[in-house]
Amino acid sequence: MRRREKSPLLTDLAEDLVVFGKKNEADEIEISIIDGYEFRVDVRFGEIENLLEAGSRYISFRVIKDKKTAFATSSDLSEETLRHLLKKSIKRAALANADEYSGLPPFSPKKVDTQSLKLYDPEISDLSSDKKIDLAKEVEKIALKDKRITNSHGASFETNEIKFVLANSNGFLNEYDQTVCSLSLGLQAGETDNRVEDFWFSSRRYFNELESAEEVAKKAIERTVRQLKPRKIKTQKVPVVFEPLMTSWLLGFLFSCVSGVSVYQKTSFLANKLRKRIGNEKVTIFDNGLLPSKLGSKPFDSEGVPCQKTPVVENGILKNYLCNTYAARKLRLKSTGNAAGTSVSPHNFYLQPGNHTPEEIIASVDKGLILIRTLGHGLNPVTGDISRGAFGLWVEKGEIAYPVSEITISGNLGEILNQIDMVGNDLNFYTSLAGPTIKIQELTVAGL
Amino acid sequence: MMIDKGISRPLIFEDHFQLDKGDLHRILSISLSKGGDFSEIFLEHKIYNLINMEEDIIKETAESIGLGLGIRVLSGEKTGYGYTSDFSLDRIKKTALTAASIAVSPSSKEASKLISSPIKHNFYPILNPAHKESLEKKISLVKRAYLAAQNSDPKIKKVKVSLQDQIKHITIVNSEGLMISDIRPMIKLICVAIAEKKHKRESGFFGGGGRVGMEYFAAELKPEEIGSKAAEEALHLLEAVEAPAGELPVILAPGHSGVLIHEAVGHLLEADFNRKKTSIFWNKMGKRVGNPQVNIYDDPTIPHFRGSYNIDDEGTIPQKTLLIEKGVVKGLLQDRLSAKLMNMPLTGHGRRQDFTHIPIPRMSNTYIDRGEYDPEEILKSVRKGFFAEKYQGGQVEDSGKFTFSVSSGHLVEYGKLTAPVKQATLIGNNIDILEKIELVGSDLKFGLQTGTCGKEGQGASVTDGCPTIKIAKMTVGGHR
Repeated sequence: MRRREKSPLLTDLAEDLVVFGKKNEADEIEISIIDGYEFRVDVRFGEIENLLEAGSRYISFRVIKDKKTAFATSSDLSEETLRHLLKKSIKRAALANADEYSGLPPFSPKKVDTQSLKLYDPEISDLSSDKKIDLAKEVEKIALKDKRITNSHGASFETNEIKFVLANSNGFLNEYDQTVCSLSLGLQAGETDNRVEDFWFSSRRYFNELESAEEVAKKAIERTVRQLKPRKIKTQKVPVVFEPLMTSWLLGFLFSCVSGVSVYQKTSFLANKLRKRIGNEKVTIFDNGLLPSKLGSKPFDSEGVPCQKTPVVENGILKNYLCNTYAARKLRLKSTGNAAGTSVSPHNFYLQPGNHTPEEIIASVDKGLILIRTLGHGLNPVTGDISRGAFGLWVEKGEIAYPVSEITISGNLGEILNQIDMVGNDLNFYTSLAGPTIKIQELTVAGL
Repeated sequence: MMIDKGISRPLIFEDHFQLDKGDLHRILSISLSKGGDFSEIFLEHKIYNLINMEEDIIKETAESIGLGLGIRVLSGEKTGYGYTSDFSLDRIKKTALTAASIAVSPSSKEASKLISSPIKHNFYPILNPAHKESLEKKISLVKRAYLAAQNSDPKIKKVKVSLQDQIKHITIVNSEGLMISDIRPMIKLICVAIAEKKHKRESGFFGGGGRVGMEYFAAELKPEEIGSKAAEEALHLLEAVEAPAGELPVILAPGHSGVLIHEAVGHLLEADFNRKKTSIFWNKMGKRVGNPQVNIYDDPTIPHFRGSYNIDDEGTIPQKTLLIEKGVVKGLLQDRLSAKLMNMPLTGHGRRQDFTHIPIPRMSNTYIDRGEYDPEEILKSVRKGFFAEKYQGGQVEDSGKFTFSVSSGHLVEYGKLTAPVKQATLIGNNIDILEKIELVGSDLKFGLQTGTCGKEGQGASVTDGCPTIKIAKMTVGGHR
């Protein structure tokens, strides 16, 4: 029951600062305010480890003068600090170079109905601390009953309530509230020098859509114990099945390559590929900011551009780059409402599911790997090259034979998109990057 | 060297927080009112500046102000935490009570009287602090790096340079009567260059900085060097072949390869993972885990290094900490909570990203110490192998499995460096790798002063170092 209501104080502050900036000769000015409230409890072996509860606010400015841009942020919201910072920013803008592509988006009368997006769950602010603590305790308790589990990284329950207020000198003034809650659990199995570990989580905007403690515990156990007694394998090229979270990881990398910012900066291997084939027929990817109650949905982006559903890849053809206003101007495109400050962020960025069950996909593999986790960095958007530490399950004659570890997978995203053989029907928005199980014809798996 | 007068400025809460010693003492007492064992207030004021240059123009500048305080209460193994940027006494009391609620004990104690304790050392004496330098002068540094990269070869098609500087004032007061402050400067100048040949495109990176003043760019590392080295890597990669795949002898180049020690050893000797017995090292204190040539330290006291600090984020004076001696596990990186629960001495490794986070055990400047082998001799000992030179980073899990991503290297053939090689991941199990370290070189170097390590959602500035090292066999995850 903290902030379901409108907050005239924050919108007034934002509007006042816009007026103050104009008075001090900024040509254009944008003010955004984030007002957040977070609660987190970490539990381990039935006892609270950490309990955190706090509210925080911070404000960001963008000022443009003679097509020159300056930014500022502050968590000090005192009027004196803000006015001083704003004046300084306007002066500082003069030291940047004029950039004809800079500037705020034009005012758009188009508005997304925030209510229809279902971003705010009032139940979350009504949850008592005790209930939240009990939930974290419960999920761990269920898991610790399993004899195969030998240690716990602990369980956490976390809630966030965030208000976003945006005002600019082109007449934009709006705000929205959102909630997120997450339940997570990390486990270890096996003896000291041969331990394996994994975790599971559920993260949703609505408390009643969260997976139950039983489900989270069950998945965390299953994901951990399936890695026990891993073997090493010889270096070879084999078909690789990506579990949904691995497809999400791959999509995250793809997102960084279709970001309009990377494209105009020429740091993406997909620059110059618009309207061209970048994958096979099975690849259809959308970015959709308007899916009700999903984690990546919002009514407008950080510049106030309304969010939308954008086809990114359709049957293998690259349809759109995801842009903020600046990148769009550079590329002579339209903003897709993906602005996140000077960069872009995905909304719900997902691979369209296919018809196959995950079981069918695994059954189709004669000899190959199911990729279950990766470790490390090793992504290069300039070339599309991928090289990562990996954990997997070895498949023989369509059945899981044994777990493997200390391997790496390597390939190239451009090649992978052309080698997607089968697409599963198990799309689930665990995060805002979402994909079903997929099968890649062939990747290099390095081991012995 | 002269010491910046700013270092001895009055306590920051008097400037920004409008709280006097009496207020702080009262807040500490309120924090203990529910029966906690220990309470602490962390006050922070930070100014950060950024300049970005790309497409031949200064595209934007930014300034960021961070101001807030965090209140922590410890009760046994439990931690209660709250933070706020709103300094009304009412709001702060509420934050204190939130943190206090972790404890449920009938007895409550008073906080001890606060006694200011001045720091007698300064690991970052500087002449010209960046936050006092004019923006024009900083822009000229950025342009120098940019032009050096751009002009180094016609194949360089794209350059990005950014300069970030920060000044962070912190004050820590706690219920044991400690009252201590630090002022930490930080600079980072980095360059990314992209080279193109036919349809091939590769990127290179270089940078520098640390807890230094502007004089660093005249004496230690010139902006031109940053630009040309980034270009050099991109050009080098244009000629690179794909990395081999499989188990091979690996030579780690001195300096950047310290990331291996950071991942394979450093994280797993952070006290929290050992207290919870999730680290593979938890039962190996005093035991041999690697080749006797291996000596590993974490040292937060190296002057001007990115990972250094005069006090840690709990107010403890940091110490150079021996982690592995002659292959035997000797020490852990401690924060207050773990040191108390494990009944071990503090080492000054309790760090936090900012006032919104709880301090946890972290590394600072971690390195494997010099050995006795000549680097040339090490190279000559490999008939066919992989020479790992520059890195994107690494990751480890408590079970000891770790990876690190090589962005560029070379093949080794008959004791000589041959074809340049791009993008490969090395993977291993830490105990296994420590055993397989065969030769440790005499040429200890540190990596770039640009690294940030992530743990539990918190970033911390770190550096890593190591001499040339030969690992008998390691899985190289290339493409061929």
